[in-house]
Amino acid sequence: MSPFLLRALLIASLALGPARAAFAESDAEVAAHRSILDLAGAFTNDGFKLRDGDYTGTLLPGKSVVIQVNLYAGNQYWFAVSTADSKSALSINLYDETGNLLKTEPFATQADSTVKQPPDPDATATNRAAAGFAPDLSGPYYVRIANSSSLPATFCLIYSYK
Amino acid sequence: MIVGRRILMAVLALTGTHAWAAPDAILSQLSPATLAQAVKQDNFTVPTPGELLAALNKVGKPNWQAQYRPPIPTAYTSRPQIALNLGGLIADGYIAVEAEDSQQVKNIGKDIMTLAKTLGISETVLRRGKTIEDFAENNEWSTLKEELEATQNEVKLAMDEQHDEELTTLVSLGGWIRGTEAVSGWIANNYTEPAARLLRQPAIIDLLRSRLLALPPRTREDSLVKGLNPRLKSLQDMVSFPPGQPPTQADVKRINDNAADLIQSITSKR
Repeated sequence: MSPFLLRALLIASLALGPARAAFAESDAEVAAHRSILDLAGAFTNDGFKLRDGDYTGTLLPGKSVVIQVNLYAGNQYWFAVSTADSKSALSINLYDETGNLLKTEPFATQADSTVKQPPDPDATATNRAAAGFAPDLSGPYYVRIANSSSLPATFCLIYSYK
Repeated sequence: MIVGRRILMAVLALTGTHAWAAPDAILSQLSPATLAQAVKQDNFTVPTPGELLAALNKVGKPNWQAQYRPPIPTAYTSRPQIALNLGGLIADGYIAVEAEDSQQVKNIGKDIMTLAKTLGISETVLRRGKTIEDFAENNEWSTLKEELEATQNEVKLAMDEQHDEELTTLVSLGGWIRGTEAVSGWIANNYTEPAARLLRQPAIIDLLRSRLLALPPRTREDSLVKGLNPRLKSLQDMVSFPPGQPPTQADVKRINDNAADLIQSITSKR
């Protein structure tokens, strides 16, 4: 692949960014999806209903993305994110509608670990992470996924509620 | 060529579709600009009717059967109207599941299939319809909620595949209006402040209205769709109350009247 062709592809990709959804899921996205469904099982076993929708993407090292969600007071929610690459490090945080960081229940594991770790407040970035939250107010909230590793991370974000 | 395509896909994925935020750190505050640029994706940002009904179950014991509506016509000719009604029927499905009424679930399932067939998307949905019928027969209520959501997603996927992407917004909108009508109807008759607070949904309707405005002109200018937007603005104002100021019982009644009026327009044959 010539440098010229690579540059042309990069320019084309910048121009065609919004067309990404037209492609089928990449292998990395499928792997991330599979990985997060393993984790989601822990929540569904606890009576949480898994939303049949997800958000997938790829984060460059040191980058983050913010996704809006709408939550109802009285429900409990778990937001969970995973990348299939165990060397990646993702963190997940929730914010209220004015952008204030919210205190959430952490739950973080390494995907290749066979033993579930108990919630660890210091485990802020692993390749699978989740945040539990029960809002007092109905309305919009924001989920922020950040990649603190030195590698690009293809991730899948899901949520469940009860 | 395959290598080239893979590289292109990788680059596309890396550049992403959205404005990525600042470099990583656990930020204690997100800026207004970051909030404004947040990703909004229909099947993630707009909650399912099931989430709203689940929340209502926490603040009361609704008589869900009282929120049923008479069967709606299923012989529409306008595709936008069919899409709006499909969303409404899926919300009806959630209500029937909450009522644990297997016959009602089956009736609604049949109507969903009929409308889906009119849009030419029944093949995938028909498979779901059979499953819904089986689960209803066996009173598998929890699984039925998942099936209804999967049905809604498959309807939208089928619309995408046959280049009816714009109709997916109308499915979400129809479901949201019908869910709001049912929930506000119960709250209006069983008023408590905690229940009334559930009706605060400013960002959902803001997103749905912005999607409506972005529809292709042909769909946007459909007489039904065109007539919805100003009335949705009124409803938006009503469900955008401040967090600490829940609507009064009279306010809730107005929300219900407004949603019911929209549903009436959506279901009326033209």
